[in-house]
Amino acid sequence: MTTSTLTAPDAPAEAAAPESRRERRRRERREDLDAAIPVELYGLKRGTVSLLTACCVLFAIFTLVPVAWIIFNSTKTQANIFGTFGFWFARPFEFFHNFRMLFENVDGDGTYITWFGNTALYALLGGGGATALAALAGYGFAMFRFRGSKVLFYIIIGSLLVPIGAITLPLYLVYAKAHLINSIWGMILPSLVSPVGVYLMRTYIRLSVPRELIDAARIDGAGETRIFFKIALPLMVPGLMTVLLLSVVGVWNNYFLPLIIFSDNNKFPLTVGMGLWSQHATTSGDQNLYPLIVMGGLVTITPLIILFLILQRYWRSGMLLGSIAN
Amino acid sequence: MSGTAVTAPARVAQARARPRHSAWVRRRDRRGLAFVMPFLVAFTLFMIVPLAYAICESLFNSRIIGGTVFTGLSNYTQILSSGMFWSGVVRVIIFGAIQIPVMLIIAFFFATAFDLGVAKYGRTFRTIFFIPFAVPVVVSALMWGFLFEPVYGPFSHLANLFGFHNTDFLSSSLVLPSIIVIAIWEWTGYNSLILYTALRSVPREIVEAAILDDTPLWKIILKIKLPMVRPAIVMLIFLNTIGALQLFVEPLILNNYSAGVITLNWTPVLYIFNTSINSAQYNLGAAMAVVLGLTIVAISVTSLLFRRDRGGMA
Repeated sequence: MTTSTLTAPDAPAEAAAPESRRERRRRERREDLDAAIPVELYGLKRGTVSLLTACCVLFAIFTLVPVAWIIFNSTKTQANIFGTFGFWFARPFEFFHNFRMLFENVDGDGTYITWFGNTALYALLGGGGATALAALAGYGFAMFRFRGSKVLFYIIIGSLLVPIGAITLPLYLVYAKAHLINSIWGMILPSLVSPVGVYLMRTYIRLSVPRELIDAARIDGAGETRIFFKIALPLMVPGLMTVLLLSVVGVWNNYFLPLIIFSDNNKFPLTVGMGLWSQHATTSGDQNLYPLIVMGGLVTITPLIILFLILQRYWRSGMLLGSIAN
Repeated sequence: MSGTAVTAPARVAQARARPRHSAWVRRRDRRGLAFVMPFLVAFTLFMIVPLAYAICESLFNSRIIGGTVFTGLSNYTQILSSGMFWSGVVRVIIFGAIQIPVMLIIAFFFATAFDLGVAKYGRTFRTIFFIPFAVPVVVSALMWGFLFEPVYGPFSHLANLFGFHNTDFLSSSLVLPSIIVIAIWEWTGYNSLILYTALRSVPREIVEAAILDDTPLWKIILKIKLPMVRPAIVMLIFLNTIGALQLFVEPLILNNYSAGVITLNWTPVLYIFNTSINSAQYNLGAAMAVVLGLTIVAISVTSLLFRRDRGGMA
């Protein structure tokens, strides 16, 4: 089997030769340059590039203002959060003290670190599971044509129109009957349903898993399960990463569903726990909750931002995100 | 198209009509269903069943005396005739009508600048602009709540410096614009990235030909690039509209900073939340969820028809 001749033109570069990170970065930059038409050809007035770059800087400042604020204020006491200039440090430097407080149950609402663990668990099981189901279903829809496959696919696409706001309350009503209130499965199981994921995986598999390769393996006598895991799955990795990223972020962000199904504070995800803190910070006076909210916010966003920076090449081209739009 | 239930002669006729569909292919294709099955089970249990159940519930009414009674469409008439629900709908429409165009213009501006390479350090800026996408909406509402806070917040200090004394960004007149700013902050990078991808797929030759014809740059952008990415723009308008109609988290969180400004029915989803969870009127809440769902489906279908109507650009 000569894989090289079978590889589709759109197949990811990873399938070819392994390259180091630096090489890849250099290649991507070179491709960026090659694809662009030299700026001089546009016949722009002098200074336009500087002006546009300045616009970018302004918007970057706007984007980073809340992040900067949260970093500066995670080092402050409650009095200093409100009493000192928001965009610089102030004495005393309380970063480590605030961080330690995340491990304690400060006001009886619950402990941040428990919520963090819950969120990670929900995101891992929900997001990972959603990606697995989407990969299987996307492969099924892309590679097979069984009775009703088209109708089923259209129903799944149609369900994209059903708003989260309209599905959450119905879920709650069903949970009340099925004893899933206050159960972590009530949070994880619905997260497994990702119609967008199925759509993206189908699109991606059609582009990057050559049918001929699958058929050749069948002729060689490989079973369908084996073909999926040994041949298709490795080719699907970039698509899988994007779907995983989107579903993990989706679970990490989810607020409405956990808000209504959990009344046990020890099962809260971060979003619900921090929402509760912010509610209590205003109503129950001076409990030093504000430094906790600020520090909690910082610790909540840091892993996600790091995840996005590490997985940059999967979303930066916007390939898969963009295919929603086509 | 495998025929499991057809009789033997029919199957022979079918096989003769389409010789390519051999028994082997059919048997293989049936296995495709096994791949789709796990998703279908989850989809049925957590999407179809709840929706059907909600529609059922919306036709009943529980009373303190007499238990649950079938009341037909009375929940619906109650919602459709009450100003409480519609005032929220009007508010989210105003929100979307301002936020979506402003955001898309900013997003298109930057996407174009990055695509043409007329701004320096495009890669770095693209990454920075995308950061808010990684921030949970609850956390961004909390951060912005601190920034907008009327007494100590840095933005009211800033407004003070410019001569606007005692500006309360979370007062009932300014909270909607404040939420618009938050939503723009959250979503511009994501929209810009999708537009950027769409712009990249415009064939380079077309732009080169236009340059050789001495077409000014603004004309290239507005007359060549913009029409070619129109399908992406229509899709973004559609996705953002669905999102805007479901506005919920930002007002709920901001209410903690300035109590009382956000009323129980401020947005439709807030109203559903308060009606069903806080006041335990589940049947009425279910009916509202159905109305909201149908409104969104109606908007989606209209926009899809509109898109098909205006030529097969996609």
